[in-house]
Amino acid sequence: MTRHLSAETKLTLRILFRQPGFWVPTVLFPAMLYAFFGANSGGGAWASHAMASFAVYAVLGVGFFQFGVSVAQDRASPFATWQRSLPGPAGFLWLARILASVIFVAIAVALVVAVSLAMTDISLPAMAWARLAAVCLMATVAATIMGIALGSVASARAAVPLANLIYLPLAYLGGLWVPPMVMPGAINAISVWTPTRAMGELAWAAIEGRAWAAQDLGLLAAWTLAAAALVSVAQMRQRRALLPAKPLQSLKNPEGPRATH
Amino acid sequence: MTDTPTDLAIHARGLAKRFGPVQAVSRIDLDLAPGQALGLLGTNGAGKSTTLSLLMGLRAPDTGQALIFGHPAGSPAARRLSGATPQATDFPDQITPREILTYAAARYGTAPDISALIRDFGLNDLIDRRIAGFSGGQMRRVALALAFVGQPRLVFLDEPTSGLDSAAQDRFRIQARAYVAQGGALVLTSHHWDEIEAICDTIALIDRGEIVLSGRIDTIRAQTRITRLAFDLPPGRMPPPWLLATPDGARWQAETTDSDTTLRRMVTEGLPFANLTLHPLDLKDLIDRLQHKDSRP
Repeated sequence: MTRHLSAETKLTLRILFRQPGFWVPTVLFPAMLYAFFGANSGGGAWASHAMASFAVYAVLGVGFFQFGVSVAQDRASPFATWQRSLPGPAGFLWLARILASVIFVAIAVALVVAVSLAMTDISLPAMAWARLAAVCLMATVAATIMGIALGSVASARAAVPLANLIYLPLAYLGGLWVPPMVMPGAINAISVWTPTRAMGELAWAAIEGRAWAAQDLGLLAAWTLAAAALVSVAQMRQRRALLPAKPLQSLKNPEGPRATH
Repeated sequence: MTDTPTDLAIHARGLAKRFGPVQAVSRIDLDLAPGQALGLLGTNGAGKSTTLSLLMGLRAPDTGQALIFGHPAGSPAARRLSGATPQATDFPDQITPREILTYAAARYGTAPDISALIRDFGLNDLIDRRIAGFSGGQMRRVALALAFVGQPRLVFLDEPTSGLDSAAQDRFRIQARAYVAQGGALVLTSHHWDEIEAICDTIALIDRGEIVLSGRIDTIRAQTRITRLAFDLPPGRMPPPWLLATPDGARWQAETTDSDTTLRRMVTEGLPFANLTLHPLDLKDLIDRLQHKDSRP
């Protein structure tokens, strides 16, 4: 069992780390955005608030966008089909993906933190950093599963545009770019139901030393479970799914389609 | 036919699968015992791939059931006992054959015998090179090794040698036969009729989603008992009409179900033939013949 999981994770990480064109921009992007738009927000509470927001944004970009959605591309490949024919639980494939996602998210978040330490006067107690790391871990699992869910139901071509359509509004609605208190009331009413808002609230609570609210933890867990359910439904559907190319000869079958029951 | 489903590598009954309006396969019955090799034949779109995916458990049939050593196709136990070649064209570029073989073996819960795989599949100079830049034939060799890496008792080989050079094809035939001789069960699809004939002892011909012909190749051949004669005649000399011979370039060709009698008659009548050859009908022609006989208007 552990041999399988470690082999799965090693394979995933090898494939990804050997594509610097994929992972270097992926982990740099959130730190770059933060340097441009977040790190110059002054000092004090605002600075750490912005840093936490961009840390969550890094989680979302890497976990949801890069790791989850790429499932759509992999899903259709004959290699992935062959992997499904191998022994061992199929869930390990997802678990390995989540583990790899955690590693790349850790690099991306570390870069955001490094920028914040270099460009602002943030100083947080060790406990706040530790709790922020815990939030990022939870959020990574949630974001990656949500991305896998999207990648499982969308076609390879549709997945990236769809992901853009979902993840940019999610980042905005969650208050990762604009703090929730400056949102219009109507937007805020939607915002409180988004998974990104829950991630943000947990991250802000961590750096402000407040306790985590049960409703934020619950909301994030609910989104994660809903996404996981969608993944398993998509998995079951895939086993019965349509063939990509329908054989023309069969359409010309003079006897016509036969009933099987 | 005293084998119970648990003894059989494959025991499939009444498999049917529909894709939208298209009945891809219907009423597929198959049995395969350990130590047997089955050739799946059929034109493109006949239902071969669908049948394979149902047997491998990659898709669930609408009706019917396939058992692999008594376990439902696609179940963890069935997957542990079987191996398959991936479609070789899309390995991740960034990994080496050693890495992917190690990965596949780990999924079977074992460590791979890399040196044996290198020897058996001609991977010596490839084993630690990244797959990016491999030729089609080189990837095919890796794909073949992957089917056998978990020491399965049943392998599915879908067009395993397309793109292989003839030396590698020959090596594969020897290996496939050795695997079957050691009690392995093998399912092969191939466009090379001679390959099917060289490896398989039984065939199943799929046409329009149904098995229209199946059985042991030697039994099928014995039923038809057609032998093909080819011989030269002096220029201007015509073969006797009863022989129903047809010209084939400079030579004449005839078919007979009783080669002894035909040959005796040719000798008795003093036909001045030369360079006579006798061949059993090859598999492709044999099946063509049977299909024509069976075809309904």
